[in-house]
Amino acid sequence: MTSSAAFLRSSLLMLGLGILLLLGIVGYSLWLVEVNRSYSDETASLRRIRSAIIGVLTTVQDAETGQRGYLLSREKSYLAPYDKAVADLPARWKTLEENLRSRPDYASQLDELKRAVDGKMAELANSVSLTEQGRFDEAYALLGTDAGLQLMNRIREILNGFLEHTDDQLRVLIERQLAAAENLQWVTIGGAIAIITVLGGAVLVIFQHVRDLARAREEVIALNAGLEERVNERTQDLIRANQEIQRFAYIVTHDLRAPLVNIMGFLSELETSMKAVTAYVIADERTPSEDDIREARLAVTEDLPEAMGFIRSSTRKMDALINAILKISRDGRRKLQPERIDVKALIEASVASVQHQLSEQGGKATISGHFGAIVTDRFSLEQIFGNLFDNAVKYQMPGRPLTLSIALRPHGPRQVRIAVTDNGRGIGEQDLERVFELFRRAGAQDQPGEGIGLAHVRSLIRNLGGDVTVESELGRGSTFMLTLPTDLTKVFRSNE
Amino acid sequence: MKATGQEVTIVMIEDDEGHARLIEKNVRRAGVHNEIVPFTLGSQALDFILGEKRDGVANKDRYLLVLLDLNLPDMSGIDILQQIKSNEHSRRLPVVVLTTTDDEREIQKCYDLGANVYITKPVDYEGFATAIRNLGLFFSVIQVP
Repeated sequence: MTSSAAFLRSSLLMLGLGILLLLGIVGYSLWLVEVNRSYSDETASLRRIRSAIIGVLTTVQDAETGQRGYLLSREKSYLAPYDKAVADLPARWKTLEENLRSRPDYASQLDELKRAVDGKMAELANSVSLTEQGRFDEAYALLGTDAGLQLMNRIREILNGFLEHTDDQLRVLIERQLAAAENLQWVTIGGAIAIITVLGGAVLVIFQHVRDLARAREEVIALNAGLEERVNERTQDLIRANQEIQRFAYIVTHDLRAPLVNIMGFLSELETSMKAVTAYVIADERTPSEDDIREARLAVTEDLPEAMGFIRSSTRKMDALINAILKISRDGRRKLQPERIDVKALIEASVASVQHQLSEQGGKATISGHFGAIVTDRFSLEQIFGNLFDNAVKYQMPGRPLTLSIALRPHGPRQVRIAVTDNGRGIGEQDLERVFELFRRAGAQDQPGEGIGLAHVRSLIRNLGGDVTVESELGRGSTFMLTLPTDLTKVFRSNE
Repeated sequence: MKATGQEVTIVMIEDDEGHARLIEKNVRRAGVHNEIVPFTLGSQALDFILGEKRDGVANKDRYLLVLLDLNLPDMSGIDILQQIKSNEHSRRLPVVVLTTTDDEREIQKCYDLGANVYITKPVDYEGFATAIRNLGLFFSVIQVP
């Protein structure tokens, strides 16, 4: 879930960043285009001004040229440029004035120019008119005064100033346009880089997310498989537990029934014997016969005590069986108290309690391997090892000093395996399972016992979520393999 | 009870002394007076029936009838039955399984292994005595090889 939220967050961030960048680039480009357009407009307008300036200048020059030609040649045909210039000038002047009136940098000189142009044109008109009238000397004299030349110089001066000013402005404008174009280029390149970066980041994030998803899927599949395995395991456990209960019920009913058969049987025997005694005691006023006396004697001395003895021992046996079953059931129902236990120390303590019997026969015990603390029920564990070590001492091979070795090692991630190996008399292959059954024992019955110990061990360790099995070779020794979860509380949590 | 002119010996494998005594009493009451050799442990009984080496050769000129309890302290009666029935010298010995269990599968298993008769020890004594006495009648008609 966190990965998907992070994905959403980072991809939204990427998206937002990308959109902002794009908007910035588009906005800046639009602005630049706008600026460029205004530059272009300004350029066009300046060019118009320039051509208007040149137009006025050439018109005035044309007028002067025409006047000179006419004055020199006195031919009417030379007057044509003058006439055309005079006709064109008002329109040209108008164009110039329209373009410049709104521009203060030009407008201030416009009136002076107007005066100079008017003055010049008047001088020209005057000399042309004098020539037309044949007053050549007057016309030359007019030329001789510098007035016309000065006016013309003034016009040139002003118009050239205008041209220079316009050209300066145009140069600046072109420079600005170039700078703007360069800016646009850089912004576009930067934008492209930014978009590629954002896209790359997004692709990377998506790729990572897809990879995370694939990994999560694999995990789910693995978990599923594990779950199935666990269900199978649990089912096996349940089947095993069920079979055990059936076996237990079978054994218990059988073993309880055996003394009952005895009690009922000997009660009947008691009755039979009583008849003989009754025949003698209550003789109904007749003398008991020899046979009566013999049978009554036999009954009193043999049959009656025998029957009572069997009834008593059978009752005792039943009581012992019931007590044994009760003990197992009570230990099974006992509330487990999980606590941290140093297994090795606990085993050492258990060994110490049989140390006396061990060393009496020259035997020894060794503990190898190491395992830290586990969380389990101390009482159960003490009972388990106590029973196992008692058995090892009880069923050692006569004449062979007992060597008892206990090995600890981890078993899987959450279990510890403890192997208790002895060199005792061993257990036959057919009895390997049987020894764990209630009231069942294997081999020579030369030791006291009721066949409870190992049944108790198995029920205790299974209560702790572990198990015990045995490997053995008759006459060589046995190894009891105990597996125990390292944390009892976790076993029960997963069981719930 | 005789076989080819020889007395048949009854081998009684029964760990419960009370049961052994009751069986003996009722067998005698049924008029069977053959020798009864009692065993409380399976291994000792097998030592007797199959010999110490468990080869069964001892049965060449000996006639036994085995009364077998299934639940013995040192080994399972099923194992004893199997060993008797899988030895070529002893597999013809009649084996009467006499036990407190009336579990269907257990009975089936015994017959599968070659048990000749399976008798449940009833808790009520009349039933018990009747079963044993009928067994006595059975003994008197059975032809032991």
